[in-house]
Amino acid sequence: MATRIWPVMKLATKVTIAGGAVYVAYDSGLLGNSEQGSEALQKAKAVIPPAMEEWMKYFGVEAQLPTIPKIEFSPVDAWNSGVQWTISNLSEAPTKATEYTSQGLQYLKDLTK
Amino acid sequence: MSEKELGKKWDRCLADGAIKLGTGLGLGIVFSVLFFKRHTWPISLGSGAGLGMAYANCQNNLRSHYMLHRGDKQRGSTQC
Repeated sequence: MATRIWPVMKLATKVTIAGGAVYVAYDSGLLGNSEQGSEALQKAKAVIPPAMEEWMKYFGVEAQLPTIPKIEFSPVDAWNSGVQWTISNLSEAPTKATEYTSQGLQYLKDLTK
Repeated sequence: MSEKELGKKWDRCLADGAIKLGTGLGLGIVFSVLFFKRHTWPISLGSGAGLGMAYANCQNNLRSHYMLHRGDKQRGSTQC
């Protein structure tokens, strides 16, 4: 009797665990649209530092994690300024090329004098 | 769509992609360990499904600006 019930119990436990994992993921908005996903991310960000502190106290680890440095770099601004720099140089390139060519020719003429 | 709004939508797309990839990966690992004898394919399937859901969400978000929604009081000139 016990040998027959044990595989069923195992399967039932596995199905419960897997189903619970899927339900938790669905309930916390991880499988919904992007607004729900970003809300879940904000909640997780708010919850993690106090949870980390509690766990560290529980294990008796007194070390303080270094704070994440705030980087002031904006990829969008860097990209935009890069594009502007490239395009303005490209637009000036023919004029500058003519100038440098004439300067080079003048220099060579001066050398041959 | 203003550039700021577009930037926010892209930020949300990337965050959503990371979340769904992680969730799919996690659920794939759970199913792989519990039911499929630690094979790799449930993990790949879960990650791929998560990325696909994120892609679909992103697509809907970016298109929603140009869609006419029911209940909008202003109608565009495309309506006959």
